[in-house]
Amino acid sequence: MAVREIEPVVLDLDRLEQMAESGYYNPYTIFDWPESIDADKPWMSESLTTLAGTEMWDELTRDQQLALTRYETINFFSLNIHGIRELMSEVMLRIHERTYAGVSEFLHHFIGEENEHMWFFAQFCLRYGGKLYPAQPSLKADSVAHLSPVARELVVFARILIFEEIVDYYNAHMATDQTLPVIAREINRVHHQDESRHVAFGRMVFTDLLAQVAKRDPDEVPVVAEYLENYLQYSIGTLYNPAAYRDAGIPDALGLRRRALAHPVRVEAHDQVLKRTRKFLSKAGVSRDLIKP
Amino acid sequence: MTEPMQSVQEFILGRNSKFDRLDGDLDLIDSRAINSLAFVEFIFLLEELTGEPIDPEELDLDDFRTLNAIEARFFKQKAAS
Repeated sequence: MAVREIEPVVLDLDRLEQMAESGYYNPYTIFDWPESIDADKPWMSESLTTLAGTEMWDELTRDQQLALTRYETINFFSLNIHGIRELMSEVMLRIHERTYAGVSEFLHHFIGEENEHMWFFAQFCLRYGGKLYPAQPSLKADSVAHLSPVARELVVFARILIFEEIVDYYNAHMATDQTLPVIAREINRVHHQDESRHVAFGRMVFTDLLAQVAKRDPDEVPVVAEYLENYLQYSIGTLYNPAAYRDAGIPDALGLRRRALAHPVRVEAHDQVLKRTRKFLSKAGVSRDLIKP
Repeated sequence: MTEPMQSVQEFILGRNSKFDRLDGDLDLIDSRAINSLAFVEFIFLLEELTGEPIDPEELDLDDFRTLNAIEARFFKQKAAS
């Protein structure tokens, strides 16, 4: 980490800090955890499953469809847990660095809230799914080694922001889906409520660091745009977990994953999930249109 | 080149316009022909081609470093066994 080479990030976070304080709740007592959840209800909105809208969904038995909503919920919450672990580690390393002295107060709220989210996601997975799915394999080699220190710093916060925005698309929808069991709906609702502040903060940090990248070397902006587009695609791919297909009793999990990811209906669905984030990235000046062929 | 290795090569070239072809001993990781973001997809491709699961916790990076290493680890070993 080369945070000392980055100019201080200065943001007006008074409103977000006040909201974090006034909206504080006890995550350990706020939820009513039932002994078990009905298996005849979808745990995830059916329209948000990775096979939704395709003939692959129609070909499943009703039991397989319901099982898929259960295992994709466990996958979705597991992704949240691993994503939070990653982002908390990064923020923890920076919280008292000079660059972030001006935003340190909010970062304390951020880490605290993220730790609580990780707890309730894990509770759900372990109580009702009996497990978490493991984190995706990753290369130890650094895929951003070609970037300048300030661009690498931008990428750290961009990954956090993109992850939160994608998750929030799902949370916002499921927060009001009356077909879901109450506990599943509540977890999505509470997370959506907190994440709106984190997304607002993430966008401010991103904008500040992107300006620093552009000021240092405008030619690096398209390189960052390419990385971010790849990261968006990578993030969508993580939702399609072959282990969840296998657990739901669906054969040929890897082939199914490959076909589903490339299915035109799903490609359109991915664009919907990413629409808000891509709009923000374009407005910030790092649109995918900048990527050099 | 065998059919599975052809698929491996197509996967990498399809994601890297900077390469026209890949030498068998090119370091795919140092050259960033395969980066962290593509790695998960690459593992799934190898699992599909070999029909064998790959345990993410048992990965040895050197098995993925070159086309020659990939062929030796995932395709020749299987043919010989």
